[in-house]
Amino acid sequence: MDEKVYGARCKDCGKEMYPAHARCPECGSENLEPLEITGEGKVLTYTDLYALPLDYEQRYLRLAIVELDSGLRATGQLLDEKPKIGKRVKTTVGVVRKSGDRKTHGLQFVPL
Amino acid sequence: MRPVAVIGAGMTKFGRSEWPLLKLMNVASLAALNDANLGDVKVDGVVVANMGAARLNKQTAIASALVDRLNLFPAMAESVENGPASGASAFKVGYQAIASGMADVVLVTGVEMMRAVNNLEVTDFVASLSHPEAEYIYGVTLPGLAGMFARLYMERYGVTREHLAMVAIKNHANAMKNPYAHIHQTVTMEGILTAPEAVVNNPPIAEPLHMFDCCPVSDGAAAVVLATQEIAEKLGRQVVRVAGIGQATDTHAVHERPDPTELTAVRLAAQRAFSMASLTPQDIDVAELHDAFTILEIAESEEVGFFKKGEGHKALAEGVTSLGGKLPINPSGGLKAKGHPVGATGVAQLVELTWQLRGEAGERQVENAKNAFACNFGGFGNNVVATVLTREG
Amino acid sequence: MANVDELEALLRPPELEMPPYPPKVITLASGEKMVVRQLDREEVPILLEAIYPLLWVERDYYDIVSARLFGELLAYKRYRVKNEYVLVGLIDGLLAGMVNGHMVDEKVGMSYHTLTIRRGLRVGSHLFAAKMEYHMDFLNQEEVLIVAESPIGFRRWMIEYPLQKKYEVPHELGGGPSWVLNKETYLAAKPRLVSGSRPVSTQLLTGAQTIVLPEEEKIVAQVLGGKGGDK
Repeated sequence: MDEKVYGARCKDCGKEMYPAHARCPECGSENLEPLEITGEGKVLTYTDLYALPLDYEQRYLRLAIVELDSGLRATGQLLDEKPKIGKRVKTTVGVVRKSGDRKTHGLQFVPL
Repeated sequence: MRPVAVIGAGMTKFGRSEWPLLKLMNVASLAALNDANLGDVKVDGVVVANMGAARLNKQTAIASALVDRLNLFPAMAESVENGPASGASAFKVGYQAIASGMADVVLVTGVEMMRAVNNLEVTDFVASLSHPEAEYIYGVTLPGLAGMFARLYMERYGVTREHLAMVAIKNHANAMKNPYAHIHQTVTMEGILTAPEAVVNNPPIAEPLHMFDCCPVSDGAAAVVLATQEIAEKLGRQVVRVAGIGQATDTHAVHERPDPTELTAVRLAAQRAFSMASLTPQDIDVAELHDAFTILEIAESEEVGFFKKGEGHKALAEGVTSLGGKLPINPSGGLKAKGHPVGATGVAQLVELTWQLRGEAGERQVENAKNAFACNFGGFGNNVVATVLTREG
Repeated sequence: MANVDELEALLRPPELEMPPYPPKVITLASGEKMVVRQLDREEVPILLEAIYPLLWVERDYYDIVSARLFGELLAYKRYRVKNEYVLVGLIDGLLAGMVNGHMVDEKVGMSYHTLTIRRGLRVGSHLFAAKMEYHMDFLNQEEVLIVAESPIGFRRWMIEYPLQKKYEVPHELGGGPSWVLNKETYLAAKPRLVSGSRPVSTQLLTGAQTIVLPEEEKIVAQVLGGKGGDK
């Protein structure tokens, strides 16, 4: 799959960020380049969400914030039957939302 | 800067409205105007707080419509959309207009008509305030963000589902004493947590948050009339002075915050409001906090400075925040039970506090309240407005 | 019932044997106790009285559900639907809600309607679950066919259980395609959706013997002003 998720890296000070901003949160530079969000990390927190928006026909959705080893954090879907705070996971990219025929790709976390 | 006072307050009953959006606004506004009893004094500014009329009710520029219905020409008028903090933001805009000398009397009306569409649509509408690329696409909703916040917070500070239930039980009980509340229904620890039936009575919404941890979806409107303190005194009203307003922002994506259990914007907004009022959290007699989720009442009670971090749930369990306690929180029933028509909420908090300071809160009156505090929480804490009101004399 | 003459015997559908639904008591979020019990045919008129003012309430499809339920209750009272049953939820004798359905044959059940009068306390959920419990645990059926008329019902029944699609089998109510609850799904969902305890104390049972109706305006006000939605 060639779908990827990008944050940004500041070309001036090296600060990494996800999601991308229009200016570097560290030094204010507008000189930013795309940074692929990928790697391993640990679950910071998660929830099973039952009050789902349109586009979802399942009973619940497992969402998590993961702290990557790079120090960046990301929100995404957690594909883990036995979730736990602190558990090691890695990022994958998959279809996270379907609106009619339109599919949106995004981060999914799977246990190591 | 000229001192500003609240001279009129009114609201509709929150719940499911049979009235259209504009009538909700008219009714709340007229209640506030009649309460202000202006006589010959003219309203020269109108600010409307609303989040979703364009999407939910297919109406735009509703502040101009309100001026028309109330015949307040040629008052200046605008709408303020600032997510769930729209209400207190509009109040701030009204305050600024008077304090700066641009206006003398301003009507601030908050309104939301959310039940015009089905719940799936409402959930999606509210979720649209989350980060579009880093949160929304994953199915993140406000309960989803609150659920992740709650799990981390509870693990870190020893808050249990029983504490969350205490918030719900307290606020439902308070709402029983508020004729304007959406939900008039007491709940019990047995019924929502300990009985075997609680599994069905109180199903999960965003674990660890359950149905009775979440505010309902409501229609409603609330309004206040602001004026220079000079006009307030001339009209012979009990003066409720706007002592302080503070506002602060935080990152759009919740995961970007250095510590996602910290509501930095809440802390900063409160500090700014207290500083402007030359008061401290210990001076406050009654507060309305933004308990869209039970966990938020506990977390905010700490961030604004009423209790140390990690101790809010203990104060709650000891009854400090109940009616009759040392610092009653959400005597109105809060968003949890009074209801949460998003654009109206921030104004409704200040309506309640005005009534409390004037001694007009009926059965839920906090005795001899002099200083009051409100926290109106937008986004998931990325835009927060705090307000301090003080009774003069 | 009036004496059953020959013509009447032809008009009446043949009845399968139906073990009664044993009453149970459910503690609600408010702490109140709701007794769920089977309705006797002779009690149908009082339910009709409760439903009548709701025939004109469009909100959440109360009008359609009420009108259909009205007919189904009459058919039950006068033996025009085979193997129909009605369950009611009563809080201190006050009618909180009702559900009905019937046995298509020994193996297949069919859910008709769920009507909640006391809203905001998951009364509808409890009663719908009691109906499934009746089909599965007491009538020992293999599956129950279900359709939803309102978005609330759809979200609640179809996704909460979750039901399987069985579009090839038409439901008697027409409308949307059928969904089915089978034994396996039922048993998986039972711990989180079916609750209550038996036996019911004599005191509670006595209190639930006579159905009391809220005042007519109160019925409509509760239905309109209740929390509603599927939050």
